[in-house]
Amino acid sequence: MNVAPLVRRPLGCLKASLRRTRQQKSMFTRHMASEASQTTTTTRTPPPEHGFFRLNDHKTKTLRSAFAVYPSTTVAGANTLAPPPVNALQALHEAQIKRMDPTGARTALFAKTREAAKVGDVLMVTHRRGGEPFAGVCLSIRRRGIDTAILLRNHLAKVGVEMWFKIYNKNVAGIEVVKRQRKRARRARLTYMRKPKHDFGSVEDLVFAWKRSRKVFSTGKPAAEAAKAKAKGKGAAAKKK
Amino acid sequence: MAPRLPAHCWRQLALRPSATTPTTAAAAAVTTTRPSLLPNTQTRTVKTGWSTLPPRAKPHRFNQVTSGLPAPTAGPAAALQRKARTTPVRAGVLAVKKGMTVFMGRTGARIACTVLQLDRVQTVLNKTRARHGYWAVQVGMGERNPGNVGAPLLGYYEAKGMAPKEVLAEFRVRDQSGLLPVGVQLMPDWFHIGQRVDVRSNSRGMGFAGGMKRHGFSGQEASHGNSKNHRTIGSAGPSQGSGSRVLPGKKMPGRMGNQRVTIQNLPVLIADNELGILVVKGCVAGPKGAVIQVQDACKKDPPPQEWIDKSRKTLEERFPEAEAHLQAARVRHMELKEARREKRIAELMAEGVRPDEEHADAIEEILAASAKEDAAGRAPAEL
Repeated sequence: MNVAPLVRRPLGCLKASLRRTRQQKSMFTRHMASEASQTTTTTRTPPPEHGFFRLNDHKTKTLRSAFAVYPSTTVAGANTLAPPPVNALQALHEAQIKRMDPTGARTALFAKTREAAKVGDVLMVTHRRGGEPFAGVCLSIRRRGIDTAILLRNHLAKVGVEMWFKIYNKNVAGIEVVKRQRKRARRARLTYMRKPKHDFGSVEDLVFAWKRSRKVFSTGKPAAEAAKAKAKGKGAAAKKK
Repeated sequence: MAPRLPAHCWRQLALRPSATTPTTAAAAAVTTTRPSLLPNTQTRTVKTGWSTLPPRAKPHRFNQVTSGLPAPTAGPAAALQRKARTTPVRAGVLAVKKGMTVFMGRTGARIACTVLQLDRVQTVLNKTRARHGYWAVQVGMGERNPGNVGAPLLGYYEAKGMAPKEVLAEFRVRDQSGLLPVGVQLMPDWFHIGQRVDVRSNSRGMGFAGGMKRHGFSGQEASHGNSKNHRTIGSAGPSQGSGSRVLPGKKMPGRMGNQRVTIQNLPVLIADNELGILVVKGCVAGPKGAVIQVQDACKKDPPPQEWIDKSRKTLEERFPEAEAHLQAARVRHMELKEARREKRIAELMAEGVRPDEEHADAIEEILAASAKEDAAGRAPAEL
């Protein structure tokens, strides 16, 4: 029987442990510097809070394993993670409308109210870049938040002309209601007015009459000045309808 | 006739009485002078190794194999260097396409734009050159029910200290300076207003489409004797004489759309943290609700360096606890992993995990180790 290893073993153990203690001595001895650093490191991170997600065995219905699952609000040590607003697109529309139409006149002119302009009315749009104001029958109102637009149809030189105008665009200086339709249109889009049978024709005489009547009621201001004032603020223009 | 050899060769041969007479000059050359009393032991044998190459010198900075040669133009290092110019310096974000609208300018400009929403975008992992072969940041978005996540991924998120994410994506960055703290949230203000971004997403799937829709073929005429072939593609190639075969890559009907599409260089118009939205000019591939990857444009200059530094600083100010939280989660993960391996996760859940004191000690140890690594000029250990 070979007893030598057994006899030698405790000695070997002792030797190894002695060697280990010798090496660890430097770790355990506290120096002045290490003590100073110990006092400075006072921040202790608490273990993060979490729940457990259990994985059960299909047959025995007993717990097979489990994983820590952190709350969905956890973000880098804070609990501030939240889903973004659902109606972000709508909020963006509102913010832009507020920026482009601070008085709310443009919104009010095409709101779904009794007083607002409707399809079938004759409208006149003044463009900021100069040129003749464009008047015509409103064939449709395309409501898309900030991108809301109206379609006007008129006859210029006996040719039918249609133009889209973005109501919140800065280039649209003013929109005025020249004539309201007597009866409410029973369609959202009056595309039938493109047919010769229903075509409204030119609105030139209507605009002319409207301008003349306005001149009668005005306080004797020169026409050019009045037009300038009109172009300046949409709020004033909207009130004149 | 025996070869004529110089006198010193003959002298050497004469020293060895037992040696057989060499027949060739070569055999004579390999023999060395050796006192004949000592045994003739060979120093180079099959056992000790034998080579016809010249003896190798000790490796030195001037005798390297590559010394004096130009840097290789192929291989991982060369590939990274080649792509460095077109790799963005910063990581990107994931977003959801919410729809299109317009951006109205103060001067009357009207710009069609796409609204992208960032839903709880967090950094998940830094990929390093040393460990993964390239620099990248893995980013996650949204929230996923843990029941719909496999066990390996549950363990992954456990180690990150975050809830399971709906989508994960990776953004390559140019170098180490592009890496981010793990677990922090990226908000829309990560992007500079006016900067250019590349937007990647999967386009709308069109299903199986014909040649006219898929490749814009003209189709065939409506009349003149055409019968039931108005939208067919017609001929697929020339006949006998040209091989009577269809050339590879021939455009034909097939699955259309649902491919990864990159739109390059879109300017950023709005970045709103409250709404969590990023508005980019123009259109982006995919339907509403599509997952979009947004990153600095690779063919344009990155945003100004001051801005990059500022946004990086903002990120660190917003989440000062990021590193400590990650380390705490790592410690907890190692405990739980061990418990799972030893089948004692049930007891551990019942009696609770390690007490706070021990836990904090372990975290401090890890933090100290990583600080030491940083001081040594190495990248911190990545989990």
